[in-house]
Amino acid sequence: MTVPAIEADALGKRFGRRAAWALRDCSFRLPAGRVCAVVGPNGAGKSTLLALAAGLLGPTEGTVTVLGTDPATARPEVGFVDQDKPLYPQLTVAETLRMGADLNPGHWDERTAARVVAGGDLDPNRRIRSLSGGQRTRVALALALGKRPALLLLDEPMADLDPLARHELMGVLMGQAAAHGTTIVMSSHVVAELEDTCDHLLLIGGGRVRLAGDTDDLLAAHTRVTAPARTPLDPHTVVESRTTGRQLTALVRPAGPLPGDWRTGAPSLEELVLSYLRNPGAPDQAPPPDTTETAA
Amino acid sequence: MTAAPTTLAVPVPARRAPRQVRWLLRLHRPTVLVWTAFVLLTGAALLWLGGPLTDASAAAWKAYNACDYSPRCAYDQDAILRYKDVYTYTNVAVLVAPFLVAAWAGGALTGREMESGTARLAWTQGVSPARWLASRLTVPALLVAASTGLLALLHRTAWTAADGRVDTAKPWYDYATFYANGTLPVALALAGLAVGALAGLLLRRSLAALAVSVVALGGLWAAVHTALPHLWPSVTRTSDLGTGPAGTGIPTAEGVVTAGGDRVAAPCGSDTTYGCRAELADLDAVGYWRDFHPAAHHWPLHLVASGALLLLAAVLVLVSFRLLRHRTGPAARPAGGERTRTP
Repeated sequence: MTVPAIEADALGKRFGRRAAWALRDCSFRLPAGRVCAVVGPNGAGKSTLLALAAGLLGPTEGTVTVLGTDPATARPEVGFVDQDKPLYPQLTVAETLRMGADLNPGHWDERTAARVVAGGDLDPNRRIRSLSGGQRTRVALALALGKRPALLLLDEPMADLDPLARHELMGVLMGQAAAHGTTIVMSSHVVAELEDTCDHLLLIGGGRVRLAGDTDDLLAAHTRVTAPARTPLDPHTVVESRTTGRQLTALVRPAGPLPGDWRTGAPSLEELVLSYLRNPGAPDQAPPPDTTETAA
Repeated sequence: MTAAPTTLAVPVPARRAPRQVRWLLRLHRPTVLVWTAFVLLTGAALLWLGGPLTDASAAAWKAYNACDYSPRCAYDQDAILRYKDVYTYTNVAVLVAPFLVAAWAGGALTGREMESGTARLAWTQGVSPARWLASRLTVPALLVAASTGLLALLHRTAWTAADGRVDTAKPWYDYATFYANGTLPVALALAGLAVGALAGLLLRRSLAALAVSVVALGGLWAAVHTALPHLWPSVTRTSDLGTGPAGTGIPTAEGVVTAGGDRVAAPCGSDTTYGCRAELADLDAVGYWRDFHPAAHHWPLHLVASGALLLLAAVLVLVSFRLLRHRTGPAARPAGGERTRTP
């Protein structure tokens, strides 16, 4: 059996004793080698989750295991790009990469780092403080990829990139994942940009995990139905339902075969995610399907 | 799935430390340059003060004292004033140095990295939080101790050269002189470094940490100043009613001794005036007494105060490490052979 890339068990974090929980009772398992999207509204706890996995924050309760060990021990093998893409503003691009090489002796991938930076047509002698947001993202990604991590945690990595750079860097990331089996976890608001690339989804809302699993499995578990208004949807789990005129459309998790007179369709990933986001009260999927684990 | 090339190298702390130090110095290069310039300038001024300026001032005083009330007197007044000025400036520079260290440590060393998030960058670039903090404390501590130590030594050398030769030279117990003349500038600077580092970690805001560090170091100094007379057993000297309280040094308490042997507060300075004599007679006073620290206590006072400050700095450093570990979770397990690596 393979060691999961991340395994969280009742993980919780709050900042301060009286503060609200940023993340609570968060349990999931991410198999290695996946490209996982972490989606959720602002302030849902996505960044907190990534920081916990990167060993930058200590959990208030519960545990998180990364690459089969604790986050601090796994740190040399984990790449992390923070939401704000912090870099030392006084260094030049070339110096920043040299620093990465110096601080990661023995496992620094000069070529990959240089390739990521070269794609942006960046003058290596420019100082970080003079770069635009997107250019800084590129350097931050180069630092994280240069480390050649087994697990790459990216917090809103594509937010300030232009569409071209986004496409190119996503390609680099997927190439990395394919070539080295790197597990990639990236958070994003934009579900559409993740649809083609991610094969695993983690939906976080209100500080808890609402959906977790392979995107194919999740999509298969949900059905978009159209039925006459006031049709009882029992015993199926309703994520979202809307009545327009005499027609009812709903997204359900079927508990059994659906009646033949309902029109059914497969939802897109974006539809699925949006339905959950629009309905914070919708029942969470529980327990998380460990289909990949049982298969392995 | 393809197996990732196992490039994971066993961390080599001995080799990694100097690299970290190199980048630390690179990141703070402007500060290192400015601090070096400050130390060199102050040091050069102190050497100038202890050598040519003291000689010129001493010669001027010699000429002045030789005049002996003669109406025509020629002496180099400029040399005397120049000595006084340069002494004041360099004295202030030595005393300000710990505050510069505290301000930098709070504002730039940890505060800025916490605020901008570059600390997190470092922690995910092969530098564990504990090691990150360790390098940010040890390297500056060594440089700060060396440079403030050098300044204090030069200050003392310059002061010693003038002692007894320049009539307006400050006595050893002049507070500004006293604090700059021993180990206290070093201890205060190191305490400032520890205070600043902790403030930066706690507040996670550069400017706030800078302000808090400077104010906290000021408070620390005030505490040392308040406690100073009690850090070493003082010496008591009694004197007759005519001379008044005697004994030069850092005073701790004084008063009059009554015939009954009691020590009470002195109502006035000496019995040379009529009113005072009457008051002393009312008290049945037989002499004055004064508790003070003579010149021999200079080093004990410095060493005890410095020791207390260094102890406090050590506690602050410990708190900083604890705080960082509390924030970032438990430290890495000691590297063992049984590590499993995911394919």
